[in-house]
Amino acid sequence: MATNRDDIKELAEHIYDLDAEVYVHLGSSLGRVFNRDRERCVNELTELLMQRHQGHLVRSELALIANMARTIEDKEERKLCMTEYNRILQEVMSLQTSFASGDVIAPDLARLNALNLQNRFKSTDHRIICISWTYGSGGVNVGFKLADKLKINYYDADIFEAVLKRLEAEKDSVIDAASHEIHLSDESASPASAFLPVKKMTLKQRFREFSRYHGLPKRDAVFFNQSDLLCEMAKKEDFIIMGRCGNAIMTNNRIPHVSIYLSAPFEQRVHRAIEVNSGLDEKKARKMLHRMDRQHAHYYNFYTGGDWGNANNYDLCLNTASYGIDGTVDFILKMLDI
Amino acid sequence: MSPMMTMAAEEGVSDKTASIPLWLCIPFAGLLLCIAIFPLVKAEWWETHQLHAALFWSLFFIIPFAVKYGIETASETVLECIINDYLTFIVLLFGLFCVSGNITMSGDLAGSPRINVGLLALGTLLSSWIGTTGASMLMIRPIIKMNAWRKRRRHIIIFFIFMVSNLGGCLTPIGDPPLLMGFMRGVPFFWSLKLLPIFLFNMISLLIVFYFIDMRAYRKDIAKGLKPDISKPGTEIQLRGIHNLLFLIMIVAAVILSGTLPSLPAFQDAEGKVMGIRILGEVTLTYPAMIEIAMILLAAFLSFKTTDVSIRRENHFTWGAIKEVAVLFIGIFITMQPALMILKAYGPKLGISAPFEMFWTTGLLSSFLDNTPTYLVFLTTAGSLGFGDGIVTALGMIPVKMLEAISAGAVFMGANTYIGNAPNFMVKAIADENGIRMPSFFGYLLWSFGILIPVFLLDTLVFFL
Repeated sequence: MATNRDDIKELAEHIYDLDAEVYVHLGSSLGRVFNRDRERCVNELTELLMQRHQGHLVRSELALIANMARTIEDKEERKLCMTEYNRILQEVMSLQTSFASGDVIAPDLARLNALNLQNRFKSTDHRIICISWTYGSGGVNVGFKLADKLKINYYDADIFEAVLKRLEAEKDSVIDAASHEIHLSDESASPASAFLPVKKMTLKQRFREFSRYHGLPKRDAVFFNQSDLLCEMAKKEDFIIMGRCGNAIMTNNRIPHVSIYLSAPFEQRVHRAIEVNSGLDEKKARKMLHRMDRQHAHYYNFYTGGDWGNANNYDLCLNTASYGIDGTVDFILKMLDI
Repeated sequence: MSPMMTMAAEEGVSDKTASIPLWLCIPFAGLLLCIAIFPLVKAEWWETHQLHAALFWSLFFIIPFAVKYGIETASETVLECIINDYLTFIVLLFGLFCVSGNITMSGDLAGSPRINVGLLALGTLLSSWIGTTGASMLMIRPIIKMNAWRKRRRHIIIFFIFMVSNLGGCLTPIGDPPLLMGFMRGVPFFWSLKLLPIFLFNMISLLIVFYFIDMRAYRKDIAKGLKPDISKPGTEIQLRGIHNLLFLIMIVAAVILSGTLPSLPAFQDAEGKVMGIRILGEVTLTYPAMIEIAMILLAAFLSFKTTDVSIRRENHFTWGAIKEVAVLFIGIFITMQPALMILKAYGPKLGISAPFEMFWTTGLLSSFLDNTPTYLVFLTTAGSLGFGDGIVTALGMIPVKMLEAISAGAVFMGANTYIGNAPNFMVKAIADENGIRMPSFFGYLLWSFGILIPVFLLDTLVFFL
């Protein structure tokens, strides 16, 4: 009987493998129950198995696998799969009813929390820092300086450029963040601008776009590609990623990271916005900040289901007005104990 | 379902069975309860005992019926139902299932709310021209495939049943058997196009509701980190087995012929009855029905012979879904007979004379009973009310609004339950078999009550009051 997390994870691996085996025997792309990568599915299944109130979901998933297994034509293969299914079912049914402990810690999140430096990063993991920020809080400057001090890569607009390359799209046809690297003082462009109205297109252009983005809305196709790229990069290098729901993407893909949210009081942000944008008066700056906040919140909420700026979504939230740009960088470095 | 069965049902019920006791409907209710409850409480047992349940409830009807009305009447009733109703029903489903299983669409188009809205709209429009069953069988696998990357997708199949398997069939007699029945009774072929405003109203209403539900589910999936594989630039859509569309047309032609041949003198005897092979008493397998069956089976055979097995493998083609439908529906067809007889005896006496009453009565009964005889009962009732204005049919003059209400009720409300229309259960079975957790019988009822009933109420207010 599975009694601890490792045993339950092993059981989850067996369930995943059974699904994969059934799928191989059927040779059809239809109907696979777990159609994402192994590690992720196994982790999710483990979590489900650990929670008593989610038990019915595991049973339903198992029932779906059994439905599929019963349709295998080869009798021997079908028998093998069903024997394995019965064994797994017995084991699931014999699981203890509760694994709850008194600690507030969410084991799943804690494992991804890079600030828990002793246990967090394995030697194979890379240092990834996700920074979300409000316009006018100096977030871009903090991110850039932090990358410089840590001697790791800094990504913002580069991601977008790479996505365009993957999609073979022309830069002008997709609205997204302008490069923060080039326009460090201009924080007005952001991923949220993907929600701005786009220019009218001819029917031919529409067909081309439809095919290029696999029938998806352009902004969704860009987001999915960004997610893929970030996950690929996380396997290869240390980096800082600015915005782009980086923290949610890393969490969803179980990649250890540090997530930081930077903001400052509204008045302070207005002053900074006027300071860095010549020609911007106070009224315009206020209006622009409100609009930018709304767009960011919408973008973040659309793709993560969470609230942008909600402290629960980050490891660390900082008021940059209390420390200044350099102070904030030092604070983060100290926290990282580098 | 072939209109032949309804003709038989209409003509074959003897006077003896005119006063059927209500308790004979218990087996029908019992079987429906089994379909509703067993998959929830004893799913694995149910999978292996569906045939036993269908047999048990059928015998539970046949034996008391034989005791009360005699073995001859019971045998005739059961045989008539199997030969004229069930046989053509299951052969049609079988043919469409085989042919559509030999067409596959591969590609990396990703299921998103707007793609799904487009596919549902396309399927709904297609239903009137190749039948709700044909469109359902043709469209269900591509829609499952495109949405394979998503976790929350049962609502897509539910709306598919609402729209492609039911609503879409209202524009022509090819769309849904009740309308083919009406065409055989003198309703002009293109008259059903008068339902276009109601059709569009319902289609747009449902698509709007669907879009919001699907968008919510889509966002939840994205928030959980699910994403389609769109790493390659550009979409490649490949249709294989496309020649099977010819066999699909062959099946549609067989259905149309089954509706038109019986009225030709060449297929009628001196008394004007449709000729065929007499099985027992009045039960006859008519020549038009035989032609329909032969054409459909030939289409299925040719489809299998001319299509590479790899296409079926790619479609995860198994006999599971059609087997389940065949087993359960033979029980449903047999046990449904007393309810149909009661409806035939008491339907005209219900005092229904307003279009909205026709819409709801025809509709609600069509949700659980076969919609073709239900349609015919109320068409006959409307024809007998002696209206002086409207569409001239073989059953009398029927006002346009009244005919619209009966047609819309019979076609639309088949979507209310899994058993309301032939393709509903088939779509559910295919979805179940392909990794989508479909709601139970009652769970589905909640969806239809929550979404369809408000739309039908709006229909009543806008079109039938």
